[in-house]
Amino acid sequence: MNKGYLCIVLHSHLPFVRHPEHPDFLEEDWLYEAITETYIPLLWVFEGCVQDKVDFRVTISLTPTLISMLTDPLLQERYSKHINSLVELSHKEIERTTWQPEFQSLATMYLNHFCRCRDTFEKHKRNIVTAFKDLQDLGKLEIITCGATHGFFPLMQVTKESVRAQVRVAANHYEATFGRRPRGIWLPECGYNPGDDQYLREAGINFFFTDAHGVLHSTPRPKYGVFAPVYCKNSGVAAFARDLESSKQVWSSIEGYPGDYSYREFYRDIGFDLEYDYIKPYIHPDGVRINTGIKYYRITGPGNRKEPYNPEWARSKAAEHAGNFLFNRQKQVEYLHDFIGKKPIVVSPYDAELYGHWWYEGPQWLDFLIRKIHFDQDTIKMITPSEYLAENRRNQVATPSFSSWGYKGYSEMWLQGTNDWIYSHLDMASTRMTELVKSYPDAQGIFRRALNQALRELLLAQSSDWAFIMGTGTHVSYAVNRTKNHLLRFTQLYDDIRNSSIDDGWLADIEGKDNIFPDIDYRVHQ
Amino acid sequence: MAILRKVKEKIKKVVAPVRKKLATKITLPARRTAAKKASAAKKVPAAKKVSAAKKAAQSRPLVVEEARKEMHGARETAIETSKYFSYAPVKHRRVMPNDLPYKYERDRLVLQVRDPWWLHSYWEVASHTWNSLRDRLKDLFYSAKKVLRVYDVSNIIFNGKNAHRFFDVEVNPDAMSWYIDAGGPGRSWCADYGLKLTTGEFITILRSNTVSSPLDAPSWVSDEEWMVPEEIFGRLYGMSFGFGSNAPTSKVMQERFRRALFSGALSSPGLASMSSPAKKQPKDRTFWMMVDCELIVYGATEPDAKVTVQGKPIKLRPDGTFTLRYTLPDGEQVIPVRAESADEVEERVITPIVTRQTKTSQKMLKEFSRE
Repeated sequence: MNKGYLCIVLHSHLPFVRHPEHPDFLEEDWLYEAITETYIPLLWVFEGCVQDKVDFRVTISLTPTLISMLTDPLLQERYSKHINSLVELSHKEIERTTWQPEFQSLATMYLNHFCRCRDTFEKHKRNIVTAFKDLQDLGKLEIITCGATHGFFPLMQVTKESVRAQVRVAANHYEATFGRRPRGIWLPECGYNPGDDQYLREAGINFFFTDAHGVLHSTPRPKYGVFAPVYCKNSGVAAFARDLESSKQVWSSIEGYPGDYSYREFYRDIGFDLEYDYIKPYIHPDGVRINTGIKYYRITGPGNRKEPYNPEWARSKAAEHAGNFLFNRQKQVEYLHDFIGKKPIVVSPYDAELYGHWWYEGPQWLDFLIRKIHFDQDTIKMITPSEYLAENRRNQVATPSFSSWGYKGYSEMWLQGTNDWIYSHLDMASTRMTELVKSYPDAQGIFRRALNQALRELLLAQSSDWAFIMGTGTHVSYAVNRTKNHLLRFTQLYDDIRNSSIDDGWLADIEGKDNIFPDIDYRVHQ
Repeated sequence: MAILRKVKEKIKKVVAPVRKKLATKITLPARRTAAKKASAAKKVPAAKKVSAAKKAAQSRPLVVEEARKEMHGARETAIETSKYFSYAPVKHRRVMPNDLPYKYERDRLVLQVRDPWWLHSYWEVASHTWNSLRDRLKDLFYSAKKVLRVYDVSNIIFNGKNAHRFFDVEVNPDAMSWYIDAGGPGRSWCADYGLKLTTGEFITILRSNTVSSPLDAPSWVSDEEWMVPEEIFGRLYGMSFGFGSNAPTSKVMQERFRRALFSGALSSPGLASMSSPAKKQPKDRTFWMMVDCELIVYGATEPDAKVTVQGKPIKLRPDGTFTLRYTLPDGEQVIPVRAESADEVEERVITPIVTRQTKTSQKMLKEFSRE
């Protein structure tokens, strides 16, 4: 009989980056890298466990923007080109490293990885979302949704209509993708503002997540800390809180597993290391060096001197770390079980892109963890929030605190000197969108198209990613331009609709560029 | 038509640097220091930023470019700029405004919560509102200070007069946003933007929405049904922050929990993991160099010949040429290249022998002071 539960949550998200007007767009690489290094390797872990009849539960959010990109034919075609070019490069690498066997074996490892990625990609007819859906239909994964474009809800409080639109568009998009309504949501940036749960309720969503202090600082006090969910007052939507102990072990840059010296060094990529003319066809056509994904070194130590990567060492480290993680969870759960007198749930959410992309061995670690939980012990059971709520219907009622999992735990990451200028413009656009919906309760034809596109542009401008990027300081001009362009397009549409002079050709052009959410209904913004 | 196009191009040329400069200006990292109060005082009014930016852009576009280089590394920026500002021809071009409007001509004041202690506000007063105030107040208008009046409206329905307390923050005359040190977690706030006349009278121009700052510690409210003793809750609180079951519940520890929570060590790296290819170097001296060697072996024979290099068959190009590229480690490489004619009658073997020997040295050329 188990003494508690482990709920692993992987938040998979990328902003909507799709530029048909440009053949090779730097920021689109985020998607291609994440497919090769994270999404497909995670699928291998899950599909492998199913094949070996290893039972598991993982909760995974696939954001509407990510799903839209993964199912977009243009981006699928571009990914196919991308992976083919990596296969070609790794063939060249095998030849180039002929006299360095320790590197040649790694080049071969990458060749196999890329070929396998390509096979998986083609096996699922280039749409890997269907593979995740199959795993959900088998009951192994619980896929949850997110804000339509990952808008940060706590900074939309004067235009709640936009919060509602973010949730509704996402829930409808989820239903169209997975054939049922979403039961849970990952609030963008884990950002919760008291009262937003009512919009989740409206969309039929039963649970969401907060950072630890979201539930710990709720009113009244949560009897079980972060180790049981609370029902939000009025809405009855359940809030699960992040357990910081398990987060720290994986995530902390100081104590976390990914910093182990045997693991692969992220920063030594041949895209930066190799001779320019040789690597040029595989980096950005304008000559900017970028990551290719082929990295030959292990972290080795704190200095700049790096030793070649040894996959076997790394693999045994991943196994060791999975064992250590499990051991700590068992101790934690055993103690808590006696201490609080019921089965605790330990919620461990991570950015999915941490696994494989940053922490190359992350998927292996997860694989070991799942298998160890299944074969080696009975203390802990993996669970999804839906299953937990079905088993534990009685939970404390409380109002969680405003919180996020961003820098310093609240809004500061998205509200600082570099990005605070966006909010008056976003606010104006939201206000205008609400006004349009009121003025045109049942628009048809080209007006309807224009209104739908206006909502698309507004939602795209609201992505928290742009403010986040402005805050971090790399790719800033891209983020600034995305914000401005979507807002300018929105404003133009607003003026056109108001003046009853919609430019059909231009509308068609931006419908083709910002083609997210084909079934959107502008009336959700109210 | 041709003239029209020329005019348009000219307009573009004039406008483009302004646009670039604006984008740059916004990227400037906030110099917000730990001293919170200092930061509020230093806040540059948004209005000033924009107008200054425009002037600078028109007179000295060169400086703008240099500022950009400093910010990101020249090449990345150059690419970003070129790819963004020179779209491939679109199907249906439309002349769009280049930048967002500076004002929307509306009366609006908004409060946002940054964290338990700080609020952010932005506002705009429509021109006609200013005009009518000016007409009404005459001379008093010009001597008045612009002030944010922040009301503590916790647990009340605010009617403009029943606040628990309020405080005034004098803001720069042309500011349109401000960070406010409210300093009270778990309270509700509302603000007025208005004029403080020399007579002491305060005239409200705008009133904000009401916001609530979150608690920075556990609530004091307990639910009877879900009551938990203080000691037990304290331990649970510590465990929730990952300090284990032995964490004491003292004030000192609570402070430690708080620091862990707000340090950012466990915050989501989010998109940063996708978008930051450059490693943050430690602050010490970062000079470095790497040198490596590669060897290119190339040659030609009859296109239908069979060729091996170091015993391994290789593929020829259609014209019979071939090129091989190897990293060249230290030591001697013997590279027999053997070609056999298609009819298996003739053989040629050519064997380059290459030796690489690497010496390194490293020294400080002069004293380095860490100051």
